[in-house]
Amino acid sequence: MKKRTFQLAFLAVLTYPLQAQQVGGARGQDINGYNVINSFETGYRFSSIEGDLGKYRSDVNFRNGIRLLGSSLTVNSKDGKGRLFDELTLQTSGLGNDPYESSILRIQKNRWYRYDMLWRMNEYYNPGIPIANGQHLLDTRRRLQDHDLILLPQSKFKFRLGYTRNSQDGPALSTIQLFDGRGDEFPLFTNVRRERNEYRAGGDFEFAGVRLHWLQGWDYFKEDTVDRVDSLSAGNNPGDRITLSRFYRAEPYHGSTPFSRVNLRTERKYFAVNGRLAYAGGRRSFIMDEAAIGTNRFGAAQNRQIVVGGNARRPVTTGDFSLSVLPSTRLSVTNATSISSARIDGDAVYREFSNASLQGTTVQFRFLGIHTITNMTDAQYRVSDRLRLYTGYHFSTREIRSIESDGDPPFAPSVSTGLQENRQHAGLFGIRLKPLKPVTVTLDGEVGRADTPFLPISDKNYHALGGRVQIKQKSLLLSAAYREKYNTNSASFSSHSSRGRNYSFDASWASSAKFALDAGYSKMHLDTVSGIAFFGAGALLANNSYYVSNLHSLNVGARVAPHKRAEFYGGYSMTKDLGGSKFALRAADPAAALLNPVQAFPLSFQSPVARVSVLVRGKLRWNFSWQYYRYNEDFGLFGIKQDYRAHTGYTSLLWAF
Amino acid sequence: MGLWLLLIVSLSARAQSAPAPAQGKPPGGIQVKDLGGGYVGNTVCRACHPAQWQTFYKNPHFKSIAAASTPALAGCEGCHGPGKNHVEAGGGKTTIPRAFSLMEPRQALDTCLNCHAKDFSRVNIRRSQHTLSDVACNNCHSIHKSPVLKFLLAKQQMELCYGCHPSVRAQFSMPFKHRLNEGFMQCSDCHNPHGTFAATWRSGMRPRMVEQASGNEEACLKCHSDKRGPFQFEHAAVRVEGCETCHIPHGSTNAKLLRRPAVFAVCLECHNGAGSFGRQADGITTQSGSHNMFDPRYQKCTICHVRIHGSNSDQRFLR
Repeated sequence: MKKRTFQLAFLAVLTYPLQAQQVGGARGQDINGYNVINSFETGYRFSSIEGDLGKYRSDVNFRNGIRLLGSSLTVNSKDGKGRLFDELTLQTSGLGNDPYESSILRIQKNRWYRYDMLWRMNEYYNPGIPIANGQHLLDTRRRLQDHDLILLPQSKFKFRLGYTRNSQDGPALSTIQLFDGRGDEFPLFTNVRRERNEYRAGGDFEFAGVRLHWLQGWDYFKEDTVDRVDSLSAGNNPGDRITLSRFYRAEPYHGSTPFSRVNLRTERKYFAVNGRLAYAGGRRSFIMDEAAIGTNRFGAAQNRQIVVGGNARRPVTTGDFSLSVLPSTRLSVTNATSISSARIDGDAVYREFSNASLQGTTVQFRFLGIHTITNMTDAQYRVSDRLRLYTGYHFSTREIRSIESDGDPPFAPSVSTGLQENRQHAGLFGIRLKPLKPVTVTLDGEVGRADTPFLPISDKNYHALGGRVQIKQKSLLLSAAYREKYNTNSASFSSHSSRGRNYSFDASWASSAKFALDAGYSKMHLDTVSGIAFFGAGALLANNSYYVSNLHSLNVGARVAPHKRAEFYGGYSMTKDLGGSKFALRAADPAAALLNPVQAFPLSFQSPVARVSVLVRGKLRWNFSWQYYRYNEDFGLFGIKQDYRAHTGYTSLLWAF
Repeated sequence: MGLWLLLIVSLSARAQSAPAPAQGKPPGGIQVKDLGGGYVGNTVCRACHPAQWQTFYKNPHFKSIAAASTPALAGCEGCHGPGKNHVEAGGGKTTIPRAFSLMEPRQALDTCLNCHAKDFSRVNIRRSQHTLSDVACNNCHSIHKSPVLKFLLAKQQMELCYGCHPSVRAQFSMPFKHRLNEGFMQCSDCHNPHGTFAATWRSGMRPRMVEQASGNEEACLKCHSDKRGPFQFEHAAVRVEGCETCHIPHGSTNAKLLRRPAVFAVCLECHNGAGSFGRQADGITTQSGSHNMFDPRYQKCTICHVRIHGSNSDQRFLR
């Protein structure tokens, strides 16, 4: 058992790149009818970065410092009849300023209750350089916590209580375009403050084989982010005369989304029935007060205030019904129908003051309704122990309706309406073959047609094909897979075509407790051509946007345990986009300068890793890990290069008892 | 922590400890008492399978024994079936009524659903893509040898998923990705491997294994609640076709998990004014004539259109 625990603990180490995990032979102690296993891993995490620190923080973000890299506590009642609980599990990871921290807690007492808690924190940094020149930087912390309590978990009457909290806060940057359509863009300081609290209550009831599940939830969201500029800014285009000397925007956005869910189902020998009704009624109230003081494009003093207040609603109602027929152990047929209706409407009063005079008041209104009916039939038939077939037919019809009334002062609001319907059909098939006991071959495919897709890049005429061969012989597992998806979507002035092909090969082999190897390679090809239209130098131009990506991804990891006191792990992962053949527009084409540079983006992202774990004494292990990251762009989108190299790692002591 | 532990354990302790499991080789002449229907009881099983029994108190299925249910619902025979023939034959897989390693995927599923169909998260398991692909419970769950603390998974969750979805592993290894490998997330934060209801976005037919937020909204909104709205001015593409219109959720080589490295390519591939698309079927609006795409300042659309997911103040998402 000890050896087994030891192996499993080491497997956990291999699982996460650079995340400290429990390593060691936690044996546990029996105390008053409970078995207790406890471990702590604490140490120092180090990092050394050269190159673009912002990109490193966006991708990896490990920094220096002392950490409680991981801890684990399990307490199990040995007879399942503990007084207060029968199981207590507590796991933590990354505490002490790692960018990814988590805690998991479970406490349960058989038949009486089960409580689960999950707490997570992510220190998120993203400079967003290619997106907005770094002017949409985010340096925020997101904290998530989920609490779930089930009372009488093994009974036919179960009660559930739950609470979820999700908050994001921290400094950020944003931009504002002022003072009119020919204005300038100004960076803003933003203090992000968002919070969501969700409360849940529900239960399960079973009678005569029919199960009822219900859940009522109350979701409250509020955002009180404030944007401001307190010093003179010439904007992103200092050549113009537009300046901003002060800017302040408060935009409290609060609301709730109460939701309900009812499910009735039964499982019998020859059939299963499942029905659900769900409703989520989102409501938000908002008010925005924005004041900007500066000079306009003519150099004249400009003082503008915009005040907007209103409400928005989005009730979403969904009904599902599925019937599974199980006439024999060979055949199963399922038909599922789903109806979804979303109605989004909002209204607001918009007031704009320019140099202290009211430009006008506009009442804005917008409605968007989306109704979808989906019916899916799937059948699976076992021809023999070696051959199984699967087929399906899926159909959906969707109606989108809109009414819009909007327009900013001094222009009068305009009203427009729209209606669009789309029907989509898809046929599916699959074969699973076992020509030999260790060999499994699966083939599947889907062919679909839609008549009026919503977007030029949506699925219209598409097919998806896939195949996989797996060989499993004792501790050796080999697999090869191929998957492709092609889609074409053409309209009168536009055509879109995408071709995606994935190839992958995987192998894992654990010859003994002393050696294990895991390796995988994937190639992901994507090429698309899309009709685009844009204005350039005052003229409307139509052309094609090409994009080609040939991504190669490699993962290799090997574990060696030459001695019972020492284990080594070495691994390497690589992502490399080789780009591909570009479709170069001739230089004479006015779009060439815009489109030629944005077709392929060769880059590489590599990361070798090495770890050592040494048993110092019976309950004490020393761990050391090193991981190197190298990111290299072979293109310069907008003249930006974000290459970096980083050495990271940790050294730690694990005490397990 | 240590004091806490002692306190908790002392408070919760019972004077009795668990009976010591039988050790050693299976005895030759086991006396079997038929409890009815060929059931012999768990104590008989432990005589020959001490390794399984020794740590079984940590197994969630131990609840059935602790609750002293009837043999047909409790412990070994609850899953494997009546053991009398197996004992009398002196062992052997083929004499176990329900030996999972010998069972068809459908049989394994039916056996597990005898108890586990109760849970709402598994109500769509009959029509899930995994079931239709013959992925049964014991492909992912290891009842006796699970190395993880929850759900009796055969491996860490993401390693399980990567095993059959290697291209997903590749996506999570990219420079921009959701933090799965770092342990901040799990696949099941967004997916339900046991099957889901039809999606309420796109055309309801895909994606097939994505768990919905608040009962019927896109899974992304569980965490990205600021994108949830409702907004006075919704970016219709988000509501109709979902976040995947512009983003690749697992991982991407592009910032913000975008489908294209250059933002304007993402926008212009839809905003091309071509007929038959959009709510009014007269094309999705082209950009304003005041824009000059040859000027770099217009090539990063979201510098001005900052509220691209939806806005309460501006129909063009400027604020």
